[in-house]
Formats: sequence, C-alpha cells, structure tokens
Amino acid sequence: MTEDMRSVRLRHIIGVTLMMSTFVLATMAQEPQIQPLMPGETPKPTKYVAVEEQKEHLVFFQGFTLSADVYGPVAMIVSDYGTLEGALRLNLKNTFFPIIEAGVGKCSKEDFNTKVSYKTSAPFARIGIDINMLKDKFQSNRLYLGARYGLSIFQYNIAGPAQTDPIWGGSQSFSMKSINCTSHWAELIFGVEVKIFRNFHMGWAVRYKREIASTKSDFAKPNCIPGYGYTTNSTCWGGTYSLIFDLNWGMKKSHKRGVNVEIRDIPPTIDNEQQTTVEDNEHGTEEEKE
Amino acid sequence: MLLLVGCYSNNCPLENTVTCNYGFYDSEGKAISYNDTITVTTLMPGYKTVYTYRKMGNKTVSKDAPDTALVNQGYSESVTQQRKDTILLNNLHGASSMKVPMSYFREMDTLVIAYRSITRKDTIKIQHSSYANVELPECGTYRFHTLQHIWSTDAAIDHIEISEPKVNYDGNINVKIFFNGVAIE
Repeated sequence: MTEDMRSVRLRHIIGVTLMMSTFVLATMAQEPQIQPLMPGETPKPTKYVAVEEQKEHLVFFQGFTLSADVYGPVAMIVSDYGTLEGALRLNLKNTFFPIIEAGVGKCSKEDFNTKVSYKTSAPFARIGIDINMLKDKFQSNRLYLGARYGLSIFQYNIAGPAQTDPIWGGSQSFSMKSINCTSHWAELIFGVEVKIFRNFHMGWAVRYKREIASTKSDFAKPNCIPGYGYTTNSTCWGGTYSLIFDLNWGMKKSHKRGVNVEIRDIPPTIDNEQQTTVEDNEHGTEEEKE
Repeated sequence: MLLLVGCYSNNCPLENTVTCNYGFYDSEGKAISYNDTITVTTLMPGYKTVYTYRKMGNKTVSKDAPDTALVNQGYSESVTQQRKDTILLNNLHGASSMKVPMSYFREMDTLVIAYRSITRKDTIKIQHSSYANVELPECGTYRFHTLQHIWSTDAAIDHIEISEPKVNYDGNINVKIFFNGVAIE
C-alpha cells in the first residue's frame, strides 16, 4: 500500500465519521430536552390537541342552490313538447334538498294519420325533496333520489277534420278551444350531479312520472300536460339536464364552506381556555388561498 | 330500442264506433234473452226513388237505379218514392241486448222495431245531444251522445227507460227495454 492510498483511505474514514456524528447530533437535537424542576416550581400544562379526535361537522344550513334545465328548451325546439324551467332548493347538511321547481310547458302537435291537432302552453310547478345518497357528504358530487308533486292549471285547444255522419249524413267541422284543465302528478327521481368549477355543478336526472288526476272534459282528454308530458299512458318518463349554482345566501361568514371543525374530548387536566373550538380551521385556509 | 318499438301501443279504444246499448228485460225488470227475431230500421229524412222489377215466375227485384238489362229480359219496371229508411240491425235473434248507432247532428232519432212473431211494430223515439270527443289525437275523433228523453209504443214493449244517459265507448247499458210478459224460471 502506497503512501497516497493510505492518505486517501484515512480521508474517507474521517469523512464518514464526521457524517455519522452530524446525523447523531441532529437526531439528539430534535429530542425534547427535559428541564429538571427547580424547588417550588409547578409543571406548566401543555396544550393537548387530540388530532385523531378532530371531527368535521356539516353546518345544517348549507345555502341555496339555483338551477336551470337545458334539456327542456332543446326538446321544445326539436320535438312537439318541451319546457323552460328552473329550480330553487335548500341544501341541508348536504343531504336533504327541499326543492321548488317552476316553469312553462309548451305542446303543439298534429297527428299525421288523423290530422287531429293539440295545443297548450301553460305554467307548472313542482315541490318535493332530493336526498343525497352518497356516504361522504363532504364531497361536492352528489347522487340523489327524489320525489315531487306537480301541478299545472292550463287550457288546451284541440281541432280536427270535419266529422261526417255515415248513416244519417251531414258533416260538421270540429274545433274546441280553451278547455280548462287542472292536472296533478307525482314523480320519482334518480339523479347525479358533479362539481365543475367552484360553485358550479352540472347534473342529469331521470324522472318516472305518474298522473294522479286531471279535470275531465266531455270533449277531450288532455293529451299533453305542461311539466308532465304526454298522457298516452298513465305513467311516463322524463328527464332534465341541469346547470346548478350553489349560492351562499344566508350563511354565516365563518360557515361559507359549510364545515365546522371541532376539537373534542380534551382531557380534564387541561384548562378550559385551551378547550377551543376552531371553526373553519382547514377550509377557511383553503378559502383564503382561493 | 327495437323491443320498445315492437311493444308500442297507442291505447286507443277497441270500439271504433260509438253505439247506444239497449238491454232487454221482462216487465218485472229481469234481464232476458229475447227469443223473437227483431229487425231495427231508422227513419231517414227525405225520400228516395225506388225502381221495382217484376216478372211472372221470378222474384221481385228492387233497385235504387234503373236497370235496363232487367227490362230487356222482360221485367216490368215500376217507379215509386219511398222514405229513406235504413236497416240498422237485421234479424237479431235470441239476444239479450242490441247496439244501435245514433245520428251525429240530429236531435231526434226514430227507430222502428219489427218482430217476426207479431205483425205490429214498435217505434222508439230518442231525443239526444251529440258532441265530438277526442281520447288521443292518434285515435281520431268520436261522437258521443247524451240521452235526454225516450218514448216507445207498446206492441211488444211494456215500457222503456234511460239507465245511463252518456253514450260513449264504455259499453254500459244506456237504455232498458222492458218487454211484455214475465220470464219463466
């Protein structure tokens, strides 16, 4: 072994020893240094935060949601029947969504074979509730089941080719206008909505509708009810594709994110002052970031 | 999708003609099957020209238009004016009810019931109003009626009454005809 090789090996040993000693010193420096108590001194209470006990609690009132349907207007353009409708709903704990829907339904059709035409255009309203079925109520996406009661008070016109008596003869034109009707119906809803950007959501819903009752006319049954659809069968299917905006009207400023974080189960040895309730600890920070 | 299309039905009423239903009862109100053979005609407004052709040893032929071929065969032609009566039901036998159409635009219909077993005929007069009805646009239009008054003669009919004034395609008995006599158990 030459002199140079010895000096290189020595430098390596010294280097490794220095690195290890630095690591050991750093580790020792992180350990709390327990100061011995002086005579007559009492131990100071330390702040205890039970991290595993932190719970996020949803605020009961989570604000309003405003939505508009885009399927109805498209259907109105491309088919005989469509609606223009919007909805206002409450968000209670991200779970229950009492809702009011209102709009205008329009139907204008003529049967190709019989040449009988039917026209109506009238407002309608629905009231009901959606229930978010997702287990995690904190996330912004929702999958819900809902129910509605619908009502429309409307008038309709119906007209057709002249009626001809096959036996006694004679012919008479056939046109009936402004037949009054009140219709009630019920709906069951399955829907999905996802967060797109901040308070903006989009979602679709499938609706199973059943006509409860309609005013009977001697002349004609309402073929299409605004807000309900066609009455060819006693039940029908419908759908909506909604643009949804979560509004924070009426919420406390500290609850804008809808979450209240509590630190619970502080051991009794700690002063009451330290049993603090921190609101919006995490989410408030996120809000500030945004 | 194909299955859905294949199963589509338009829910239109099965009956495409609205008729007034007459139920048959004995004089005490028991539903019966009337054993006699009856033919129902209705009186139409106005008259029609009838051409009658006769030839010895051949059946008499009646036609609404002249037939020169029969004249060439040796038939004698006679021209008469007759009421435009129309047979609504022909030789109905052993029925418990009958379905008779009603006029669309007239207030009064007159039915003449002829019996095979008796020479006299009964006349029934029905006063009614009519209105158009649409169940569904794809089903077309129907003509419904509301019965107001009904009268009858008494050749074989004891009395007559309206049981359901609304005449539609529900199939209810609208008029009860109580024939003379009592059904034997």
